Amino acid sequence: MTDKNMNLEDELKSALRRQQAPPHFTERVLAQIAEQNSSTQAVRTPWWSIFTQPLLRWAAVTATAASLVIGGIHYRTVQRERTQGEAAKQQLMLALRIAGNKLQLAKARVNEINATPSTNRSRSEEE
Amino acid sequence: MRTKARNGIVILLLALPAALRAQDTQLPPDVERLSAKAKETVEVKMDGPMLRWASKFLSAEDPDERKAAKLITNLKGIYVRSFEFESEGAYTSAEVEELRAQFRSPVWSRVVGVRSQHEGDNVDVFFRIEDDQMAGIVIISAEKKELTVVNIVGPIDVDQLADLGGEFGIPKLNAKTLPKSPIKSVAKADKGDQK
Repeated sequence: MTDKNMNLEDELKSALRRQQAPPHFTERVLAQIAEQNSSTQAVRTPWWSIFTQPLLRWAAVTATAASLVIGGIHYRTVQRERTQGEAAKQQLMLALRIAGNKLQLAKARVNEINATPSTNRSRSEEE
Repeated sequence: MRTKARNGIVILLLALPAALRAQDTQLPPDVERLSAKAKETVEVKMDGPMLRWASKFLSAEDPDERKAAKLITNLKGIYVRSFEFESEGAYTSAEVEELRAQFRSPVWSRVVGVRSQHEGDNVDVFFRIEDDQMAGIVIISAEKKELTVVNIVGPIDVDQLADLGGEFGIPKLNAKTLPKSPIKSVAKADKGDQK
């Protein structure tokens, strides 16, 4: 072993020797970790926090109210149209049934006349 | 001269809507007189656009509504006026005759005319014929306590229409027992009427 090597070994031993931690080292590390965590939370703001701005909050309220009003009007229009359409359908069915009924009546009477024996018919015609 | 021509055009333009309306007669105006005497009245007035609109609400699952949708496809209007009276004799035969007279024109053919002395049911069916095609039907039904006038404008399947009426209180008639030619039977009915 040379003197040079001996010196290096001594230097390494000196550098890597066990040392006592400075006073309050643990508390300081923990405090630093806590500080870092709180700063990270502050950066991650929720999406709804945009409504904390008054202008945006009013815009959102107005848009919601407008949507509700338009939706309500549309719903009422659709309902009214449906009611009127149902009424029109009922009228149509009534008209067709009355017409069909009267045609049936005509057919029934014609049928009766045809079914009547000719002698009876001529007698009734004479009457 | 030019002023006269201009006035003539203006009068023609003003008269055109009325003339067009007159072509598609809805119901005889005289029929309204009877509403004052009626206990109950039914009035249905549906023109082409109204029919199209109403047809959108017809259900394809209901057999009657399915038939109705098919029936009205080419119709231009349906007009019904029905009066129910408290007692017999609320209207005179002359009043009904006035109604019938409005359909005694070349465009109208009377295909059924039933006069039943016993039952008191008098029914007239007129077809409107245009270019050898059926273009409408008018039914005048004068019963003892009821008077009904139906005007259907446009081509319609009469058998299908009668089929719809079968479920309105009168049982459906057996097609096999029906006369093959209603016109022949009408002639007999008319003969009875003339007596």
